[in-house]
Amino acid sequence: MHKSLTFLGIESSCDDTAAAVVRSGTDTEILSSVVEGQVPLHAAFGGVVPEIAARAHAERLDHCVERAMAEAGVGFAELDGIAVTAGPGLIGGVLSGVMLAKGLSAGTGLPLVGVNHLAGHALTPRLTDGLGFPYLMLLVSGGHCQFLIVDGPEMFRRIGGTIDDAPGEAFDKIAKLLGLPQPGGPAVEAEAAKGNPARFVMPRPLLDRPGCDMSFSGLKTAVLRARDTVIAAKGGLTVADRQDLCAGFQTAMASVLQEKTRRALDVYLDARPPVPAFAIAGGVAANQAIRAGLETLCHANSVRFLAPPLRLCTDNAAMIAFAGIERFRLGHCDDFTLSARPRWPLDQTAPAMIGSGKKGAKA
Amino acid sequence: MPPETILAFDTSAAHCAAALLLADGRCLIRREEMAKGQAERLLPLLEEVLAEANLGWRDLNAIGVGTGPGNFTGVRISVAAARGLALSLGVPAIGVTRLEALAHGLPRPVTVVEDARRDEVYVQHFSVGGPEPAALRALAGLSVAGPVTGSAAGNVEGDAVAPAMPMVEAIARIAASRAQDPQPRPAPFYLRGADAAPPSDPPPVILDA
Repeated sequence: MHKSLTFLGIESSCDDTAAAVVRSGTDTEILSSVVEGQVPLHAAFGGVVPEIAARAHAERLDHCVERAMAEAGVGFAELDGIAVTAGPGLIGGVLSGVMLAKGLSAGTGLPLVGVNHLAGHALTPRLTDGLGFPYLMLLVSGGHCQFLIVDGPEMFRRIGGTIDDAPGEAFDKIAKLLGLPQPGGPAVEAEAAKGNPARFVMPRPLLDRPGCDMSFSGLKTAVLRARDTVIAAKGGLTVADRQDLCAGFQTAMASVLQEKTRRALDVYLDARPPVPAFAIAGGVAANQAIRAGLETLCHANSVRFLAPPLRLCTDNAAMIAFAGIERFRLGHCDDFTLSARPRWPLDQTAPAMIGSGKKGAKA
Repeated sequence: MPPETILAFDTSAAHCAAALLLADGRCLIRREEMAKGQAERLLPLLEEVLAEANLGWRDLNAIGVGTGPGNFTGVRISVAAARGLALSLGVPAIGVTRLEALAHGLPRPVTVVEDARRDEVYVQHFSVGGPEPAALRALAGLSVAGPVTGSAAGNVEGDAVAPAMPMVEAIARIAASRAQDPQPRPAPFYLRGADAAPPSDPPPVILDA
């Protein structure tokens, strides 16, 4: 039986400015969750521009905090702590959030808890469904793609991940290549639903190799080549060409994720977890084709399938508040020297997959 | 005007600086040179200055913060912290630009010329009647008449004069002069756009759209 704790959460690691209030005791309740997107700010640039994102966060975060607290109907006196994303992510935005949180903590005397953004995603099935450990997690978003066995609020074992692009990034790039709007995920999915997936058969990278690692940059190049072949022949693309390219791409993506998830489930089930469960999080979890494939796979393996509602799959601050509560319960708290970290792998023991040198491993 | 206790800080360049303006008019100043690490150092530095005066966060009547122009990330570090303090303490946070701070206490007219790198400078002229708009200008061919102050004052014609006081003290004193009136929330004063270019490869032609 846990003492009830109420935390403010702050998130600003990419292009969503977010604040939320979460109360967790016997049950967990999201008292408010404010997310302010920045899609129009970045639309002209075909992707998130870090400096533009940082500028927006710095001037919006405190307003989001005020809104979240007003919607929750709580003042600082009703809070038990402040949780903030301290990385990984675009450093300008993360820094704005961390400094705002330090200012709030100084002025109120409330404990400050720095949270790993990925832990926020990975613990979301506990926020929504009170899922018990250990469970298998596929974190699949615009910046990340990894399989994690979650053994505890701070115990993550990465058993595979992308060695280059993240799927969400691939969706965005495909949208850009095909003249579809950003963010690319919903746009490509909508076109794919109308297309013929058999016309352009795309490669399934790394399926021929054992293990749970993935690669998506070659898939993006394959779409570019197929597009250019059509353009060379016709001088442009028809709407139907574009639908077929989207369908071919999405089918390849879904089939890679499904096959790699099958292998990840084997690894996870090997340890005979008492109540086997698989959860998906991150923005790409919103893709119905990908989600359906994984759900079918789980049913076939008698594994419980969990996909949090979309607003909790994409970036939000409720997951940060909740992860902060879980970390705080384990006795962790940060002081004013808390750093914002552009890179911060969840599993600190697994060998680096991407990135090295002075900046350290990205994943 | 009742006596005010105001804490001001600035991390808009390679330093972490704080000034605590006390009700009796004294001003405690701390300034540490550092190229990085301001985000980790700022709050502990502020706590040290407060402790030196035997004060706590709750004793503050207002926050003053340097809004640049300067290092984008550095400016945001201070502005975000100031907004957090203002919200949690229920006191105003008042933004003061680097250019206003450098001109503070000097006779008018004076022109502030601050190094903006890339052979450019931030320029603002403060006439007897008041300040003119600040601008980002090319250093080459820039001519300024009369007294000039700022880090690039020596690079232009005109009579270079030293600032009247440390910049962070000026931020505190300007904030004090504004604390009685409602102020907008402090916002970074960039003067330079974000480096962002539209994608170079055009989208494909859609034949039947």
